[in-house]
Amino acid sequence: MIEIEGLAKTYGRGARAAQALRGVDLRIPSGMFGLLGPNGAGKTTLMRILAGIVHPSRGAVRVAGHDLAESGRRAAKAVLGYLPQELGMYPELTAAQFVDYMAILKGLEDPRRRARRVAEVLEMVALQDSAHRKIKGFSGGMKRRVGIAQALLNDPRVLIVDEPTAGLDPEERIRFRNLLVRLAADRTVILSTHIVEDIGQTCRDIAVLAKGRVVFRGSPAELANAAAGRVWTASTDRPVEPEEGLTIVSMLHLPEGVQYRLVGPAGPAASGFSAAEPARPGLEDGYVWLMKGGEPPA
Amino acid sequence: MNGAALKYSWLTYRRDPLWFPPAFLALFAVILLILPDPGARYSIARAYLGFIVPLVGGILAAYGVLDDPALELRFSTPVRAGEILLARVGLILAVQMVCALVFQLFAAALGIDLSPLGNLLRVQLVWFLPTLALAALGTAGSLAGAQTSMGAFLAGAAWLVQLLMNSWLRLNARSVFLFLGVIAPGHPDLIVNQLMLLAGSVVLLLVSWALLRRPERYL
Repeated sequence: MIEIEGLAKTYGRGARAAQALRGVDLRIPSGMFGLLGPNGAGKTTLMRILAGIVHPSRGAVRVAGHDLAESGRRAAKAVLGYLPQELGMYPELTAAQFVDYMAILKGLEDPRRRARRVAEVLEMVALQDSAHRKIKGFSGGMKRRVGIAQALLNDPRVLIVDEPTAGLDPEERIRFRNLLVRLAADRTVILSTHIVEDIGQTCRDIAVLAKGRVVFRGSPAELANAAAGRVWTASTDRPVEPEEGLTIVSMLHLPEGVQYRLVGPAGPAASGFSAAEPARPGLEDGYVWLMKGGEPPA
Repeated sequence: MNGAALKYSWLTYRRDPLWFPPAFLALFAVILLILPDPGARYSIARAYLGFIVPLVGGILAAYGVLDDPALELRFSTPVRAGEILLARVGLILAVQMVCALVFQLFAAALGIDLSPLGNLLRVQLVWFLPTLALAALGTAGSLAGAQTSMGAFLAGAAWLVQLLMNSWLRLNARSVFLFLGVIAPGHPDLIVNQLMLLAGSVVLLLVSWALLRRPERYL
């Protein structure tokens, strides 16, 4: 369980100050939790605060009962695993050596116990056969799995993963998502991403962050419902520039013309689309509606 | 810090900069070999220990902490700031120590007498204290400026300025003169100078430790 109250973070001072978080309140229970938001929304800052790397300017955070203030930070770090967005590694080390080193940094000092745990976590991420290969020869997905393996070393009660599927091919993305869901069976897993599909496929509980504030909290279905009655599909025989307020979610060139999926407060007829039909909203539609300033569901 | 941690400290340090200390060691060893004059040989040996070892140590230390690809992961572990400093800067000092000792053995094998610098302990202080001071300056500079080049510049500039102004510093600022031990080994204020260098190094390392407790500046 994670409890966040009135969390704010400002980088810099005076005229150059930038507010990354502006009063975030969240309670995150066990299971898979999705944090969605555009680039620059403050997701990575929030993840780094939860990981005990960045100090908040204001507010309180408790991770698995440990206060993230100075006194409880080491204890909180001991019960969490973290996979950063930019996963830097030592390319000359093998996967087993890298995870072993991280185990030492996490305080697993007994060599036999450490070796056993390293083997266990590498098996959990299906890398046991590549354990003694150098990381520099790994694919992006394999590196991410090594990253998850090191995050699992201390059997964390909270696992924080920041944009873990960026740059992965579809097969690796699916494998990685499934791994996270498996791990969420007995712990809190916070998945931060701007890829809506990743959230829709893995989380029952999500929050949307925009400009440093939580603008939505609920289930993916509730977020999708935010756009109910505001999603249309429309076809034209030539490309049309939709009027302001109407957002193109997707566009498909067909032999008979162009098919659009549109989200907006007004019907697309006003924009010159003759044959527009209401469509059932999806998660992406709800997200786009919210980001365009639409009302979240009550 | 146990053996495995030391091994990984070594393995995870970027390889390229670690070639510099043995490269300089080899260069000065070759120079010693080709110089016939005993006086010139002594001067070269003294220059390597008193000037080159500290410079290389200071510049490498500037890269020691921040030039780490897994810095964010390291910060997410419960490792303390002091332990990071010890592992990363300590490694540089250890490499410089090995180079200085190997060089002294080589010089002794060639019959070069380093006793004008003092007894065995004093010879070690001739290279160790300036190396520690410049390493501390390089580390503190890179952490204060949040960039490695800042620390390397500060260490290099301090070395150069002190070298160019050595006559003035010897007379007017003996206590902070990095090279008093090698230029004037019999100076009456040498002990004070050595204590001041040690104290200054400790202060700079404490500043580095305080800076490293706020890791967000380095991500």
